[in-house]
Amino acid sequence: MSSMPQPRTGVIHDIGYQRYEGPRLGRGYAARSLYVHSVRSSFGLGRSAWAKVLPIGLLGMASIASLILVVINTQLPEPVLDYAGIASTFTYAATVFVAIVAPELVSVDLRTNLLQLYLSRPIRRSDYALAKLAALATATFVLFAVPMLIMFAGMAFSTDDGIAGVFDELGGLCVGLLAAVVHAALLAAIALPLASLSGRRVFASGIIIAVFLLTAPVSAALEAFSYDSAAGHLAGLIDPSRLLAGVDQWLFGVDLRLVNVGGFGAVYGLLTVVLIVAGTACALWRYRKVKS
Amino acid sequence: MNPTIMRLTARALLGRRRVLLLLPMPLLLIGMTVIGVTSGASDDEWGPPVLGNLGLSVILPLTALVVASSVLGLEIDDGTITHLLTKPLPRREIILSKLAVAWAVTSAATAVPLALAALIAGSGALAVGMVVGATFASLAYCSLFLALSLLTKRPVAVGLVYIMLWENLLVGFVAGARVFSVRQHATAIADGIGGTPLLSASVSVATALIVSAVFVVVGVVGATRRLGSFALTGEAS
Repeated sequence: MSSMPQPRTGVIHDIGYQRYEGPRLGRGYAARSLYVHSVRSSFGLGRSAWAKVLPIGLLGMASIASLILVVINTQLPEPVLDYAGIASTFTYAATVFVAIVAPELVSVDLRTNLLQLYLSRPIRRSDYALAKLAALATATFVLFAVPMLIMFAGMAFSTDDGIAGVFDELGGLCVGLLAAVVHAALLAAIALPLASLSGRRVFASGIIIAVFLLTAPVSAALEAFSYDSAAGHLAGLIDPSRLLAGVDQWLFGVDLRLVNVGGFGAVYGLLTVVLIVAGTACALWRYRKVKS
Repeated sequence: MNPTIMRLTARALLGRRRVLLLLPMPLLLIGMTVIGVTSGASDDEWGPPVLGNLGLSVILPLTALVVASSVLGLEIDDGTITHLLTKPLPRREIILSKLAVAWAVTSAATAVPLALAALIAGSGALAVGMVVGATFASLAYCSLFLALSLLTKRPVAVGLVYIMLWENLLVGFVAGARVFSVRQHATAIADGIGGTPLLSASVSVATALIVSAVFVVVGVVGATRRLGSFALTGEAS
């Protein structure tokens, strides 16, 4: 019976739609576009002037601070702060930056159910999470790198040792940029999963900043209780910004008295790597669960 | 004051599990105080880092920021503010009701654990000082952040910049900035009443009272005027 041909009841009329025959740009292109768009929007580029005020303002303040440092460094026989030192010192401003920018990148998409629109394109959930994470890390890196480049320009022009002095500064700059990569990766890996917990920017910002603000005095107090003992050396691990200062101290020999790692430098480095990996895994896991 | 607005605001703020979000910070403060008391460090060693740097300068402003910018900010985000604005109520009444709820919640969530911490530290006078200081500073913070939630679309971001860059960073470099830092007012009032080495204040109590009162008036008047000419825009929140 089923072999009998069904009577034709309907027909699709050819009303002249053309097939798309151009190149199909695929998953990588979509993920790259999302990344570029996210980096731009984290500085408010392509948005209203009000969206630019805070991120650009923070970047501007960091740049001015670095200009002042150039002036001080050139006047004194020994520079007060080198490139890796900038990474350690500006981490505080960078925590404000990620607390403002991370909710901007992910919370609005969650609240307005925009994720399903993204996923109707050839990107996957993991691509979305990684693109956002990479965008936040890049934006944070820029916040560190611009003041360093300004400092490099200032110091290179005012060096007394000719071309050797310039290369000296260039070496310092490379170390500083390396530190900036570590700082940006850790801050982004902590902030992004936290921001993706809430579709409300109010609460997302609140959670992120609570983590950074609350751990700082706890860590400082624990260090004060047990100064110059193993527990005191390890107290800096609790606070992300002092953890990063500890890594700078261990890898690059920055000593700003922000933290005293004692003989535990490797522990600071290890915990940083663990946190970056865990943060990335949390972001991926979180976006596997988000409904779309 | 309008009891209906207050009831609805309190329910939106504390309903379901949201009230649980306020719990971790007080618990952390009590825990750190217990560690401080039992660590054997002297009062002026552990007191300022825990009660001052953790309690009065992080937990108090952070609670006030989240609470005060959400009492009105969430309604603006959701668009339910239109229901409120179309009722025949003076705008002043809306602001005062919202502020009262924010103040009550912030004070309860900060003054009680701070007083408990002071009691654990063994100073009843400081406990009274903490209650008065935290309650007073809550009012100043709440009026400021409530006004911010009307003046800008990103109240938390601007509030964070005030707390972290002004109160925590700039005050360290420019001593004069202390006069305009609510956190210093809270410390001054609490220390003025308590008079223990557990806190160290750097502005006078009179300055603290006057400047905080100015903050409250500016915040309430600014918020009321702003809400009086409030324009709903369709821009993405």
